[in-house]
Amino acid sequence: MSLREVVVVGGSIAALTAVETLRMEDFDGRITVLSDEELPPYTRVPLSKGVLAGRESADDVVLAPLADEVDLHLRTPATGLDLEAQTVLTPDGPVRYDGLVIATGARARRIGTPGQSERVLRSYEDGLRLRDDLRRVSSVLVVGGGFLGMEIASTARELGRDVTVVDLAPPLDRLLGTTVGRHVRAVAERAGVHIVLAHGGVRLLGEPTPTAVETPDGHRLEADLVISAVGDLPNAEWLAGSGVPLSGGIVVDERCRVSPYVVAAGDVTVMATDDGALARTPSWTNAVEQARAAVRSLLHGDDAPEYRPSRYFWTEQFGLDVKMVGPLDPQGQPAVLDGSLDAGSALLAWPDAATPRQVVAVNHHTPPAKLKRMLTGARRTQLPA
Amino acid sequence: MQVHADRDKCEGHGLCADVAPEVFELDDDAVVVVLHEQVPSALERKAEAGARVCPVAALRVST
Repeated sequence: MSLREVVVVGGSIAALTAVETLRMEDFDGRITVLSDEELPPYTRVPLSKGVLAGRESADDVVLAPLADEVDLHLRTPATGLDLEAQTVLTPDGPVRYDGLVIATGARARRIGTPGQSERVLRSYEDGLRLRDDLRRVSSVLVVGGGFLGMEIASTARELGRDVTVVDLAPPLDRLLGTTVGRHVRAVAERAGVHIVLAHGGVRLLGEPTPTAVETPDGHRLEADLVISAVGDLPNAEWLAGSGVPLSGGIVVDERCRVSPYVVAAGDVTVMATDDGALARTPSWTNAVEQARAAVRSLLHGDDAPEYRPSRYFWTEQFGLDVKMVGPLDPQGQPAVLDGSLDAGSALLAWPDAATPRQVVAVNHHTPPAKLKRMLTGARRTQLPA
Repeated sequence: MQVHADRDKCEGHGLCADVAPEVFELDDDAVVVVLHEQVPSALERKAEAGARVCPVAALRVST
């Protein structure tokens, strides 16, 4: 069947890339984009940095606009899907498709009670609100020491605020491994950040605005502003009962397919990993690459290449530029390929220099494309351009 | 078509160059360089795609 009408649900980088790929593949039918965002597609990457610091505004984060002929509907959430009738339901009425790309992304996970006005950072509006909050306070407590939490901590420190990060485990270890994690934490602590471990998690205290957390042993940490950076949840509830397979996200096959004429990409998806378990990969590069693969399989079916994630992650915080390729959480001590962490710039590989499974560059000017080529089996797992 | 690169914003992820190596390159400091002052018309679509994929929105296209 030749597709005449493609509907893309979502309004961020995966949706944008899907549209881009449709055009690159010479799809000349109609493209409709349904986005629940206020803004046209923008990048969330600067939200924890330039936007939070007040240096960047909407103009700085909005991505290059879609072509005029693309029908973009903002503030239009998808509320349901009828696979049989090939129709997406919205508050404005049903939208029919021949081909559907689901890229509804994720939202911030919350740990507060319904009565609490919990501060999170996911959307541009969240960024503006936190920027204004930060101007009014002298102390900040960040719950969660992942990339996002530590980047928020970095910006808040840069603004001169008293900053504490609280997490279940040493921040960043499970992402960057213990060697790099320890290094980044040391730099953060030298910059004045207090890092507190709370085994068993914390409870937000204060209504409506949380101003403290309590650890399981009854210890209280207070701050003028408490920000939760405790992960994200896939926006898949609107598909409940639709027949789309859901298991902690939309389950996609090796070509990002969900059901006939339906593909999905980005933060909302789960895919089988090497060990067979289903996992999400909420990252910019995954959203981009998966959207490309999804559209190709929508257009070309089994002739499209299988999706092989390139697994590129990065974070910028406390003057450190950390770029990583390979699966997160490298184990054990790395081999040093160049420089040294103590000297401020290093290129590290796990498990050894001869057969790297992961490579991390810390303030080291090796382009990510080159890092990817260093990985063992890179040629085998590379996506065709 | 012209592409303006904000070299201060660029973080050297190189996704633009992955998409459109004919238009974008990273220099020795891993900062983006636009290879054409005027983008040839045959490369316009690729240049746009390369600009859109920048995670820090450092690339702007104008016609």
